[in-house]
Amino acid sequence: MKVLVCLKQILDPDVPARDFQIDSAAKAARRGGANLVTNIFCENAVETALQFREAAGGDVKITALCYGESSAEDCLRKAMAMTVDEACLVERDGNTNPDAEAVGRVLAAAIQRLEQDGGPFDAVLVGRESGDWGVGQTGGLLAEELGRPALGFVESLQPGNGSVTLRRQTDVGIEVAEAEPPFLVTITNNEDNVPRIPKTRDVMMSYRKPLQKLSLADLELDSEEIRTGSSIFEVDEIFIPADEVECELAEGDTLDERVDQLARRIHEVVASIG
Amino acid sequence: MFRVGGTVPFMDPTQATREVFWNIEYTWLVYVLMVPTLAVFGWGFWLKIRRWRHGQAAIRFDRPGERLQLFLRNAVGQGRTIKSRYAGVFHTLVYTGFIVLFLATTVVAIHHDTPLHIMKGHFYLIFQSLIVDVFGLFVLVGVALAAIRRWISKPKLLVYTDEASWILVTIFVMALTGFMIEGWRIAVTDDPWAAWSPIGNLFALASDPLMSDAAMQTGHVAIWWFHLVVAFGWIAWVPFSKMSHVFTAPLNIFTANLDGYGGSLKTIDFESAERFGINHLGDFTWKDLLDFDACTECGRCTDVCPANTVGKSLSPRDIILDLQALMHKRGDEFLGAVNGDGGNGSGELLPIIDQKTAVSPEALFACTTCAACMEACPVHIEQMPKIVDARRYLVMEEADFPEGMMDMMNSLESRQHPFAGTQFSRVDWTEGLDIDVMAEMDDPHEAEVLMWVGCGGALVERNRNTVRATAKLLQKAGVKFAILGREESCTGDPARRVGNEFLFEMLAKGNVETLQRYGVRKMVTSCPHCFNSFRNEYPHFGGSYEVYHHTQFLDQLLESGRLDGNGAPGGSNGSPTVTFHDPCYLGRHNGEYEAPRNLLAKMGGTRQVEMQRSRNTSFCCGGGGGMAFVDEPPDQRVNQERAQEAVDTGADVVAVGCPFCATMLDDGVNARRGDRDVKVKDVAELLWDTIGEADQAAP
Repeated sequence: MKVLVCLKQILDPDVPARDFQIDSAAKAARRGGANLVTNIFCENAVETALQFREAAGGDVKITALCYGESSAEDCLRKAMAMTVDEACLVERDGNTNPDAEAVGRVLAAAIQRLEQDGGPFDAVLVGRESGDWGVGQTGGLLAEELGRPALGFVESLQPGNGSVTLRRQTDVGIEVAEAEPPFLVTITNNEDNVPRIPKTRDVMMSYRKPLQKLSLADLELDSEEIRTGSSIFEVDEIFIPADEVECELAEGDTLDERVDQLARRIHEVVASIG
Repeated sequence: MFRVGGTVPFMDPTQATREVFWNIEYTWLVYVLMVPTLAVFGWGFWLKIRRWRHGQAAIRFDRPGERLQLFLRNAVGQGRTIKSRYAGVFHTLVYTGFIVLFLATTVVAIHHDTPLHIMKGHFYLIFQSLIVDVFGLFVLVGVALAAIRRWISKPKLLVYTDEASWILVTIFVMALTGFMIEGWRIAVTDDPWAAWSPIGNLFALASDPLMSDAAMQTGHVAIWWFHLVVAFGWIAWVPFSKMSHVFTAPLNIFTANLDGYGGSLKTIDFESAERFGINHLGDFTWKDLLDFDACTECGRCTDVCPANTVGKSLSPRDIILDLQALMHKRGDEFLGAVNGDGGNGSGELLPIIDQKTAVSPEALFACTTCAACMEACPVHIEQMPKIVDARRYLVMEEADFPEGMMDMMNSLESRQHPFAGTQFSRVDWTEGLDIDVMAEMDDPHEAEVLMWVGCGGALVERNRNTVRATAKLLQKAGVKFAILGREESCTGDPARRVGNEFLFEMLAKGNVETLQRYGVRKMVTSCPHCFNSFRNEYPHFGGSYEVYHHTQFLDQLLESGRLDGNGAPGGSNGSPTVTFHDPCYLGRHNGEYEAPRNLLAKMGGTRQVEMQRSRNTSFCCGGGGGMAFVDEPPDQRVNQERAQEAVDTGADVVAVGCPFCATMLDDGVNARRGDRDVKVKDVAELLWDTIGEADQAAP
């Protein structure tokens, strides 16, 4: 079986609030002092794929794919350190924030190119959403581009007889589905797909694994539309919401008085908000 | 009856001696029995040496002068053994007794088997009779004291084996039968020099009215041979029992690590290493293997272990003993494993990490790397580096470690600091202080010293006050310093202690590069972990610096008059009683106990009290070895145990010199202080409280 996992490199969502800066003119976040990390749901997807391979007894080849800047090579190396077999980076230059539709098209073209060379992928795994913009559309739009059935919020894949059993989180509980390859799933996190820490030997070995680089030109996607990457929606404005806190202490000499005062103020504030 | 001079009218002391082999026939049998005895003895030690030789290389015969000094102090002089009062007393009695009795036997041998008849005259009377008798008594008393401890008071730190009991019984029997033989000889021969052998004489006096000369003579022969057989058997048994420490311990002390605990971890050559870390005996160095054989089962390491004290499964003593047992029991497989075929033809290496033994992952990951075990060990066994070796295997080969450590390492990898989720950047703490950042300076060489802030100082809210106080004190003293700001990365200490040597090496190399870029030579840091890395570990990666802990640097500033400590007495703290908690990585690891205490002494109005466990016997805050990032079970918190001790001193302020100690003890003291107002403050904060506020108060 062949499994493909898509990865996205994002600004560290754990960046201290004071270090987070935006460039209003470019309508994008500024790198500033923040680090670049692999989007957590994408790492959950890698872990899910690795666990699927282990459950299937090993005969599963896993490829990691990323559309990103050259720094995203780190994410792919880390995936290979986690024991993904090979990786492919589609180099993005210039456009810091392509929308989900543009990304879907690029990834679809890359997948088709990889399939031409190495045969079809039975399963494509995409993180549920990214930790920067949180749009959560890439998986669905990629499935559309590929013309494959898709299922969202999947937390695990289990090998079955010719099919794959999927566990999917829903509002009312877990849904179990049987899927015939090829298909696409978006992966959400649960307690079992916490990304593993790579073994040191695997970290060292990751530098010997193949990492293919493709450009948009290689994929014949060198259009203005893809370059600007804003095919279906446009960002009007971005800003950091002002975090205003008004603190008021309930006054009074005794505990009872303070509690009364507190209750009175809660009523007043609620009433003022309407 | 009083025997002295009873039958000899004039005694010439220069002629005093005694007959060797009096009353004994077939004395040739002694020499015949000696052959197998010495053969087994030699074979036993050869087996040991052969095992050690299968270990990896280690340079432990360099610097002979220093080694000899250490040997004289702690092997010959029993420097560490006597630190435990009761055991120190009885061990000294038995140890000195053994040496004197051994010398006495050697004298007999020389006297009897060589032309040098030295056992006579005043030497015979004073040494061979009086001194030997007294030291023989020492052995009896020492063994009796040891037996009282082992069989009656039964402290938790001992290992209760039949072997240990048999050792006491056999030594006691040897000493006692020695006196019986001497006594009966004195009684039967009417030895004119009897008074010089007071214990033997006492025995003679006691026997005389109860036994006939013939009975004593018969008893003498029987007990003489019994004594000989027990002694020879005992000698042959030495290499196979813990009595082998008589030889292994002095050797172990001579070959001890001379570089301090702070520099005791090995580096790994990642290009050539077959395995990372250790999970097989054959991957240890010969010195590690010697360590296992040097253990005397005294239990002091486990007794002082913070993790063990609060009830965790870690026991450094049992780790050493379980590995020793594995080395002895599985000798063949072990040797085979080193040769690469597993000894049983399977090619499998025997793992040392085993859930069922003391070397379990759970125990290994409870170690705070505080080195209390190593400091307590009378024979200089290096427990902590072995724990880190095994952790390395678990972390780097198995990727198996506690969750808190995983988050810490993830953060180190992607953010170069261990505090995932911190709300601060590396420069937030400088707000309003006008501090130079190397990258923004026209000439970074203008900075006389680099202030290495450390992640724990910059990124943990509680400690930002400490680094602010340090910086303000440096400014006040007119020190030209700068920081690296956002270019600073974790030194890698937590990664290294947890066992992720690969990550440590990456961080270390990165930092060495950054420091090289700015030509940094001199550093001051308020984090003892960073201090230790720079001082002891970075030289292996091409970075050699003159590095000071902030308490050392500030102490120098006070000493040289660049700072004046006598501001307002005690500052806003009034006249507080202060107890200083020694950080492991400043104290035990690097031997600095005085600088922080000097600083406190120089602050007007503070009164210092010491905790029971202080200086080199200080008790860890619980935060070292990556443990600061692990959630301890509520009833097994090292920090609370320590905080209780601090609170019990009655101090108003617990002074610290480490960001990890500060947070650990803050939590601990808040849990244990009850209604009292006890604060945890860094020494720099206290000094600033004193000087800084005096400054502000001045017109």
